[in-house]
Amino acid sequence: MAAAPTDRQPLLVNSDVISNDDNNNCNSASISTSSDITSSLSGGGDKEMAPVPGSSIHRSGSRPQLDLSGAAIQGNFEEKDPTILLPNQSDDISHLALDIGGSLIKLVYFSRHEDRLINNRRTKSVKEKFGLPTGIRRSYPILGGRLHFVKFETHKINECLDFINSKQLHRGGMDSLGWQSEVESNENAVIKATGGGAYRFADLFKEKLGVTIDKEDEMNCLVAGANFLLKAIRHEAFTHMEGHKEFVQIDQNDLFPYLLVNIGSGVSIIKVDGDGKFQRVSGTNVGGGTYWGLGRLLTKCKSFDELLELSQRGDNSNIDMLVGDIYGGLDYSKIGLSASTIASSFGKTISENKELGDYRPEDISLSLLRMISYNIGQIAYLNALRFGLKRIFFGGFFIRGHAYTMDTISFAVQFWSKGEAKAMFLRHEGFLGALGAFMSYEKHGLDDLMVHQLVERFPMGAPYTGGKIHGPPLGDLNEKISWMEKFVQKGTEITAPVPMAPPGTTGLGGFEVPSSKGDSLRSDASNLNVGVLHLVPTLEVFPLLADPKTYEPNTIDLLDRGELDYWFTVLSAHLPDLVDKAVASEGGTEDAKRRGDAFARAFSAHLARLMEEPAAYGKLGLANLLELREECLREFYFVDAYRSIKQRENEASLAVLPDLLLELDGMDEERRLLMLIEGVLAANIFDWGSRACVDLYHKGTIIEIYRMSRDKMHRPWRVDDFDVFKERMLGSGDKKPHPHKRALLFVDNSGADIVLGMLPLAREFLRRGTEVVLVANSLPALNDVTAMELPEIVAEASKSCDILRRAAVAGGLLVDAMISSQDSSVDNSSSVPLMVVENGCGSPCIDLRQVSSELAAAAKDADLIILEGMGRSLHTNYNAKFKCEALKLAMVKNQRLAEKLIKGNIYDCVCRYEPAS
Amino acid sequence: MDENPTKTNQSAHLALDIGGTLIKMVYLSSDDNCSPDSQVKVSQEESNEISDGLMKCHTGKGTLHFLKFETSKIDDCLEFISSNQLCSHGDLPDKKQPSAHDRKLIKATGGGAFKFADLFMERLGITLDKVDEMDCLVAGANSLLKANNQEAFTYMNGHKEYLQIDHNDMYPYLLVNIGSGVSMIKVEGDEKFERVSGTSVGGGTFWGLGKLLTNCKSFDELLKLSHVGNNRVIDMLVGDIYGGLDYSKIGLSSTTIASSFGKAISENKELEDYKPEDMARSLLRMISNNIGQISYLNALRFGLKRIFFGGFFIRGHEFTMDTISVAVDFWSKGEAKAMFLRHEGFLGALGAYTSYQKEGSGESMSHQLVEQLSNGVQCTGENQRLLPAEIKSQGK
Repeated sequence: MAAAPTDRQPLLVNSDVISNDDNNNCNSASISTSSDITSSLSGGGDKEMAPVPGSSIHRSGSRPQLDLSGAAIQGNFEEKDPTILLPNQSDDISHLALDIGGSLIKLVYFSRHEDRLINNRRTKSVKEKFGLPTGIRRSYPILGGRLHFVKFETHKINECLDFINSKQLHRGGMDSLGWQSEVESNENAVIKATGGGAYRFADLFKEKLGVTIDKEDEMNCLVAGANFLLKAIRHEAFTHMEGHKEFVQIDQNDLFPYLLVNIGSGVSIIKVDGDGKFQRVSGTNVGGGTYWGLGRLLTKCKSFDELLELSQRGDNSNIDMLVGDIYGGLDYSKIGLSASTIASSFGKTISENKELGDYRPEDISLSLLRMISYNIGQIAYLNALRFGLKRIFFGGFFIRGHAYTMDTISFAVQFWSKGEAKAMFLRHEGFLGALGAFMSYEKHGLDDLMVHQLVERFPMGAPYTGGKIHGPPLGDLNEKISWMEKFVQKGTEITAPVPMAPPGTTGLGGFEVPSSKGDSLRSDASNLNVGVLHLVPTLEVFPLLADPKTYEPNTIDLLDRGELDYWFTVLSAHLPDLVDKAVASEGGTEDAKRRGDAFARAFSAHLARLMEEPAAYGKLGLANLLELREECLREFYFVDAYRSIKQRENEASLAVLPDLLLELDGMDEERRLLMLIEGVLAANIFDWGSRACVDLYHKGTIIEIYRMSRDKMHRPWRVDDFDVFKERMLGSGDKKPHPHKRALLFVDNSGADIVLGMLPLAREFLRRGTEVVLVANSLPALNDVTAMELPEIVAEASKSCDILRRAAVAGGLLVDAMISSQDSSVDNSSSVPLMVVENGCGSPCIDLRQVSSELAAAAKDADLIILEGMGRSLHTNYNAKFKCEALKLAMVKNQRLAEKLIKGNIYDCVCRYEPAS
Repeated sequence: MDENPTKTNQSAHLALDIGGTLIKMVYLSSDDNCSPDSQVKVSQEESNEISDGLMKCHTGKGTLHFLKFETSKIDDCLEFISSNQLCSHGDLPDKKQPSAHDRKLIKATGGGAFKFADLFMERLGITLDKVDEMDCLVAGANSLLKANNQEAFTYMNGHKEYLQIDHNDMYPYLLVNIGSGVSMIKVEGDEKFERVSGTSVGGGTFWGLGKLLTNCKSFDELLKLSHVGNNRVIDMLVGDIYGGLDYSKIGLSSTTIASSFGKAISENKELEDYKPEDMARSLLRMISNNIGQISYLNALRFGLKRIFFGGFFIRGHEFTMDTISVAVDFWSKGEAKAMFLRHEGFLGALGAYTSYQKEGSGESMSHQLVEQLSNGVQCTGENQRLLPAEIKSQGK
């Protein structure tokens, strides 16, 4: 460990010798700061790891993943049993709808999630400032909550009944106001249900659960479900050709008309012209039931999945008569039939003297699958043609995300339409009916739900269950951990998806089902996972996006195999370090270690699942993957793994800030601006998400690193629009440009990054009369500074800077701070405000389609956006265009990204300025 | 082709359609010629294999014979040709190396015309003159429809009705040939047509799957079984799903099949627990209905009101025709009609036969055929079974 630098070497001057420690101008503040850093980096500093007071953990109000806020609510009235009332699963107010089909029961239920009202000073002032309602609950048509998707086999309907009963799902009523009111007896409880079983099992539900099944029309439900999914989930639909999935973004305004083909036991073909406007135009009796029924007779398979699994190892040319068989290996090219085209399904089992037993079940299964899929594709296309429809969506449980099935259907549609029509599939394919039945409840408010208000989360069990039949997420942290441990005990490879559900559970849930024999549900690698849909009414599209429709946040598409491999390696390598930090942040207790292990397993499993099927979780960008990691941490109650590190770095940086500001103020305008931008880029090196930087930290102290980093700040940078930006700021010649009205500064890391980089830049804007809004994360992610932490940092910085202080007071950030301020009589009104808003994210990246309402409100008067840091300006948004000016600043701390994005090297810098587009 | 017309004419009494499952043969014998009748005996019963059907059309000039063989038993076919000297005008079939001058040519269509070309050359010294399959199907169908007023009929609810086809208003129509697989051809004129669709779920599927499910030994046995079966044991009906109720809103009655073989899913029954006849019935309905539906959808695409079904799958089997007709009627809401052809299985072979005419012998050949056909049919008359008398070849 290097000795603590105690020098007061000017921070802005490039020094030749960084380790020049012979400077004696020590001041006590910097000494203590530095030693703190030293001790903490050497593993000490436990005193500083005292948890942040609980209240601050629960403060963000914009995203439903704030499981902990739920805990707080429940704690208010059920304090005695905190372990049961884990916020993550506040199923207290639930609504349930069922689709009881011939072979599977699909269940959709809603658990309301109450966003906590956070009316601390900052939020209050922000809300007042931007005219936002101060109460969340009553101001949106729908309440936040989660939609869960669960499946059961119909012949095991008792499992389903037990499940409903155990969750008391049937007692939740749409009209019940909340947890305060004890839910009344279930005498008149009604459950919406569709599918044939809604008739067949009505009596059973009455008898076992005492609920009345309210039957909803099947077609209505299918269409309502499909419409909801296609409108509300951004990349719900995808094409599947030759094993390659491609997600399709459907324009909500250009959705209709389309053809919906629901493949259940039989097949329904529906032309959909609008909400509630549709017609069943055709269908076929050759469907999923035919495949399973015939397959069962011919192969003795015990389940649909087994049959499907068999087909993957089959060779249909042993069963089917191919064109080549008839033409002696030649094509019948005149009519466009290649030798491998099937002329007659099962045509080869005719003429030979073979019995059923002489054929491989694998081959039979495949032949059957091809026959039926192809037939459905053909009939669907012919119907699409009839009505001039270009888009055909296939849903229903026959498909099951099975790659071969989708390929075959796609091929049929493409073949017959000569590429004119497209077969598309839905990630929630099996749940159309159940979702539709759910939609049929009055007052669910989901009709008005917009794409940007939905966030899909994949809980820890997701990688294990794939798209299989499963129960709900585990309710209890202990359950979660022991569930993960159970896998390890069983010697299950964590790097490969688990082929079997744990005994006695239905999979994901850990929901005990005594009657279940633990059917081995094999995982089909190509299956897609269905996550939990979080409904967040407060999320909005960032209003300054030039074209929200074409906006794609992710610069890196993880469906690209090379990228995925790379990030898999990076994140895996980073995992032990992250676990250490996380465990330390919780005091390093045995409990924390156990949770840390479980987290590591769970996240590794997510990664392994994605390696196996990159599209398993839908269209996944790097931003989503990084957010998944943060979510996974939160799932195991690691609230803020980097909190002590952040604190230390903040303190260290704040200690040298006054000197920096002094130096800056001694410079002329032009030089100062350059120094400020340089400072932002240099300070951006402090990034615990970067492996290279983490290595650096073990070699030096924060200030050393900062200096070294500054040394490298020679212009021109790899991407260098500084001169254009400077002209905009300072003008050229006599022309003095108008200052910006309001600048949104999207900040990145804690410590030097925010304190020595972004705050001085913010100060420069304030000085020029530009309002400044610091935009920070709602929830912790790595060492990123959060909106909750910023007021304190600003307050601390204000102690030594009058400009910041007055602005902070004007922005409502600072009242208490005036106590420590030497002079409270300074005229506040003359200053433009400095404000802090949360961005609605808990990720190191940002998807500007889903930001907090307060950020959206703050954006309305903004004419400059500054995105800082790799996560927000490179990994995401590098190509984003805005309606106002934008400056993207980052140091590239990753060789691969540097090469790919800017054709440069690690530690190269980006200063990209773009005028309003 | 630049064959000597005389030469080609010499072989003009034989044409083949070699499909994936069956070989169809059409040949003409002059009445005083050595008749194959002398070498075959009638065998209606106990045929363990597909019978070689034969239909004769007697005319003043000779008899037009229709025969079929299993493709897998092509030796029987070769033997038959050889022993009846169908390919020669006096030359011995065992003549090893026919000179180019007296090369024997036989018109043949179907994939087997390619696949077995070498075999015919090697064994019989015959060159198969390949004729396009679709050309033949269409030519055969057109000839039949023109030749005979009682060729086409509808079949609904057990009621057969012959149709008068106006020769001047025949086109366009959809020709659906159900062989091992199914071809759907839009026919707009004598040689104006396009294969617009098809499906691999055809006769081969019925037989192939049926054989696996029931251990039937022949197509006809399977067909016969289906007569007495009850598909409701196997198929999931709308009523099974809706607890006996109709789903009337979308026009599905409780007896509509929701899912073919859908009941085989949920019960704890094995293959042996189901009756072969029930499975045969279910299978037949599934395939017939599917063909009917896809045919209708294609007819609709091109605005065709008439759909003619041919090919060996049908075999004049009433239940098959009924199912196809109902499917077309159901999906078209009565707008389109399924029609069947009495010479259903021989479209390709007949087409190949008629193709001789194009090469020199000219018009007369066509007229001759038409006459032969019409006379023949009239001659054999109404008392003939729909499926012509089956005569089993004595060949090996």
